[in-house]
Amino acid sequence: MSTAANHTGTLTAVPPVVSAPFFIRGELLEGQDVAHRSRDLGVTFSTPRIPLDRAVPPRTEVPPLLNVPLAEIIDFLVETGRRIRDPNNPFMQECIDRMCSTHILPREVVRNQAMYAAAYLDKRKLMAEVEQNFPDPKALDGWVPKQDFTGRKSYVRAFAPRLIHVLPGNSPGVAVKSIAQGAMVKAINLFKMSSSDPFTTVAILRIMADIDPNHAIVKSMSAVYWRGGDDAVERVLYRPQYFDKIVAWGGGDAINNVIKYLGPGFQLVSFDPKTSISMVGKQAFSSDATLDQVADLASMDVMTLNQEACVASRFIYVEAEQEDTDRFCAKLHKCIAARAAASGDFRPLDMELREQVEALMMMDDEYGVWGKPDGRGLVIRSEEPVDFHPINKTANVVRVDSLDDAVKYVNVATQTIGFFPFDRMAHYRDRLASGGAQRVVHLGEAGPSTIGNPHDAMYPLHRFVHWMAHEDGCAPSPG
Amino acid sequence: MGSNVRKLTEMASADNRFAVPFADLRATQIEAMNERFQGRKNAIKLLGHRAKEAGVAEVRTAEDIVPLLFPHTTYKSYPENWLREEKWERLGKWLATVSSHPIANIPLFGIRDIDDWIERLQGVGHFISCSSGTTGKSAMLIASQKDMEWSKVDTVNAFAWGSGVKPAQDRRIMGLAPVAYVPKNVIIAEAQEKAFGDPARSRFNYPVPPLTVGALTKMVVLRKAIADGTAKPEDIADFERTSKERQVAMDNAIGIAADALIAVRHEKLHIAGLWNNLYHVAKLVREKGYGAADFHPDNSIYVGGGLKRAQLPADYQEFVHETFNIPKDRHFQNYSMQELNSAMPKCREGGRYHVPPWIVPLILNKDGDALVSHAGVGEVEGRAAFFDLSLDGRWGGVITGDKISLDYGPCACGNAGPSVRDNIVRFADLEGDDKIGCAGTVDAYVRGVA
Repeated sequence: MSTAANHTGTLTAVPPVVSAPFFIRGELLEGQDVAHRSRDLGVTFSTPRIPLDRAVPPRTEVPPLLNVPLAEIIDFLVETGRRIRDPNNPFMQECIDRMCSTHILPREVVRNQAMYAAAYLDKRKLMAEVEQNFPDPKALDGWVPKQDFTGRKSYVRAFAPRLIHVLPGNSPGVAVKSIAQGAMVKAINLFKMSSSDPFTTVAILRIMADIDPNHAIVKSMSAVYWRGGDDAVERVLYRPQYFDKIVAWGGGDAINNVIKYLGPGFQLVSFDPKTSISMVGKQAFSSDATLDQVADLASMDVMTLNQEACVASRFIYVEAEQEDTDRFCAKLHKCIAARAAASGDFRPLDMELREQVEALMMMDDEYGVWGKPDGRGLVIRSEEPVDFHPINKTANVVRVDSLDDAVKYVNVATQTIGFFPFDRMAHYRDRLASGGAQRVVHLGEAGPSTIGNPHDAMYPLHRFVHWMAHEDGCAPSPG
Repeated sequence: MGSNVRKLTEMASADNRFAVPFADLRATQIEAMNERFQGRKNAIKLLGHRAKEAGVAEVRTAEDIVPLLFPHTTYKSYPENWLREEKWERLGKWLATVSSHPIANIPLFGIRDIDDWIERLQGVGHFISCSSGTTGKSAMLIASQKDMEWSKVDTVNAFAWGSGVKPAQDRRIMGLAPVAYVPKNVIIAEAQEKAFGDPARSRFNYPVPPLTVGALTKMVVLRKAIADGTAKPEDIADFERTSKERQVAMDNAIGIAADALIAVRHEKLHIAGLWNNLYHVAKLVREKGYGAADFHPDNSIYVGGGLKRAQLPADYQEFVHETFNIPKDRHFQNYSMQELNSAMPKCREGGRYHVPPWIVPLILNKDGDALVSHAGVGEVEGRAAFFDLSLDGRWGGVITGDKISLDYGPCACGNAGPSVRDNIVRFADLEGDDKIGCAGTVDAYVRGVA
C-alpha cells in the first residue's frame, strides 16, 4: 500500500568521507584538513589546505612551457590520452572509483565519458584546434615578424598567459580539454575543481607526472578545490598580479562570484550555461519510416550524456497539427525510454520538477504527457515551451504551425539547434544566429562538431593568450 | 468533516491544546487524516492522481500519508505564461486541480488584471493568497470561507498564547509594515485589530500603498519577458522608475511612522510589522531622542516573516524591543507558512515552537519521499512536512522546504505535546552555490529584476 518502504535514506546516517588530493606543479598533496560536501549526493570529501603561495608562481618567473615547442607539448598530450584510455591505468581506475561516490551519473556513463574525453587528445585534432584558433600558430612558439604597409616592423607573440580555470562538474571531458588547451597556449594553469568531480583533473595530472615528473607541462599545472564563492580563497587569488584571465563555466552564483573580482588586467573568458533545442519540420511526417527515424535522431540529441550536458536537447519544436505531433511524441518517448533503459540511469525526477509535470498531467486538455516523472524517459507536448528546465531524460515537444514561429523561442541561452530536414537549415541560420544561437546541426548530431570550430561563439585559445608586441622600428624606405 | 477531524480542531481554543502528549494524539490524527483523505480524494484532482499512483486507498499509518503530501512547490506549478498572457480561464482550471471545492464559473468578461480576477473568485467564496517569492514564481494558494474564519481565531489564539498578551481591546494598533494585500494577511490583520485594538482609537497604517497580487506578480512577469527577450528597453526603464518611486515612498514612510509612534508614545500600543521596517523605525525614533523610558511599559509586538535578506546588526531584535519598551517575556515568535492555515507559536519558557493537535508533524528524509525512522525518544531531524487538519479549501498535507528538529516529548515549558527547536533552516540555503555545469537556463542572463 505504501511506497515509502522502498526508501531508506535518512539525514542522520553518516556518509563515507572520500579523500580528494590536490596537485601542485608536479607534486601530489594529500591531506584531510578540510571537509566539503558534494552537491548532488550529499557525500563528504576531504582535501588538504590550499598552499596559496605554491599555487601562484610569481610573475618574475617566465612560464615554464614558454619555450617548449608546441609539437612536443602535443606529443605529451597524446601519450597522456593513451594512458587515460588504458583500462589498467591505476590513476584512472582510482579516479573512477572515487568519482562514483560523488557523481550523479552511473559508473558506466562516468567511465565512458572519461574514455570519450581522452579521444580529444589526438595529434590531428589538437593541431586542428590550434590552426583554427590562430591565423599563424607559429606565434605560440616564437616571436613572429610583421611589417605593415608603412614599413613599420614588429614581432608578435601569443605569449603564455596565467589562467585560472573554474571547472564544471558535469563532464570529465571539460577537464581533459581544459588541461590540453592550457598546455597548448603554454599557460601557467590553476584548475579550480568542482564539488561533483574533485578527482578527474588531479588523476589526469598524475598520469602526466607519471610520464615525466619534471616536464614543463607538469610544472605548469595545479589543481585544487575550494567551495565556489569562498571569499577566503577568492579574494586572495583573483587578482591581476597573479592571473591574467579566469576561464569560467556556468552562470548564476558561480559567475556572479567571479564577476566581483574582474577589473583592469583580470578578465573573464566565460563558457556560459546553455540550453539546446531541436526543430523538426513537416517533412518528418512524409512517411512512417521517416518519422521513426526522426524520432530516433531527436532522442539521440535529448539523451546526450543523459541530458546532463549543454548540447543535450530539451525543447523540440515540431511543425505539425496536434494529431501528428502526438504521433511523434509517442515515438520519441519510446526512443528516449529505450536509451534510458540502456544507460541504466533511473534517477527519479526531483520533487519540484515532478510536481510541475504532474500539474501539467492534471490539465490534460492543454498538455500531453508520455511516460511518468520516474526518470525513465518523459515527453510533454504543449503549445508553448514549459517554464521549467527539462532535465533527466525529459523532452518538451512544442507544436508550432510553422518553424518560423519557433524562431522566437531562440534566445541568448540557446546553444545548439538540431534541425530536420537538413536542407532547410540554411534558410533559418541567419535568424537563429540573430536570436542568439551558436550552432545549428543535423538532428541527431548535437554531440559531434567540426574539429577546431568556435565554442560559445568564440575561438577560446585566441582569447586565452597574452598578445604581446615587440615594435622594432621602421624598415629603411626604399631608394 | 469526520468525527476525528472535529475532535482535534475543536481544541482550537482549548487552554491545554499544547499539553496533550503525542502518544495520546497519534491514533486520532491518523484517523483524522484518513477522514480528510476519503473526503477529498475525489474532489482534489491532484490528490486522486497521487493516490492512484501510490496505490493508497486508505490512510492507516503515518507512512501511508507520505506519498499523498503535496510539496510546497505544488502551488507554484501553474504555467507562468498564463499570468503574462492573462489566461484566466486556464489559471482557473489549474486552481481547480488543487481546490477542495469546485470552482464555480465566474464571469471572465472585462477582467483588467489579476487583482480583478482574484476579486471575482472571492465573490464566489474562493480566497487566493499569493506568496511574495523573492525570486521567480509566486505560489497561489486557494482557501475557503471556512479557512478564513479559522485563521481569524487561530491568529489571535496563537499570539495570546505565545506572548501572554490578553485580547482586551485596549491598545492602539500601529501597523509598521508594507502589507501584501492578500486575503489571508488582510483577515489576520483585521482579527488582531479586533482582538487587541481599542475600537475608540484609530489604527496607524504604514504609509505606503499596499502590495496587491498584481503588483507582486508584475515583477515576475517582467522577469520572464526579459528572459524571453520580449521586454522592450522602455518596459524595463518604466519598471525601474516605479521601483524607485516605491523606494522613495518606503524611505519616507520610516520618518512618518517614527513621528506617529513618538506622538502616541504614552498610549498602550500593539506594534505589528516586519523586522526590517521595525528596526529602521526604531533607529530613527532613537535618533530623535526617544527610547524605552518614553514608551508605555505594557506594549506588545507582533512580527511576521523572517529577515527576507535584509542586512541588520546582530542585536536587531533586542534593539527594537528595547526602543518600544516591550516587556522582556513578550517576545512572540511563530513558525508557520503560507501553505498551512495554523500557527505554531514559540513558548516563552522553553524557546520551542509548539505544534497544536490539529497539525500532524511528519519528519521526512531530505528527498521528502519517506519518513525518517525514529525511536520516538528525543529529537528527530529532517525535512518538515505537516498535515494541517483544519484546512478546508485545499489539501492539508504539505512538504516544506525546511529542515527542522522535532521532539515528540515534553518541552521545558511544561507542555507535553510535540515541539520544534528554534534552529529551522531552509534546505535551499544549505545547498550552497557551488553548482556549476555547462547546461543552464536563460535565467542566468537576467540581471536586475529579482
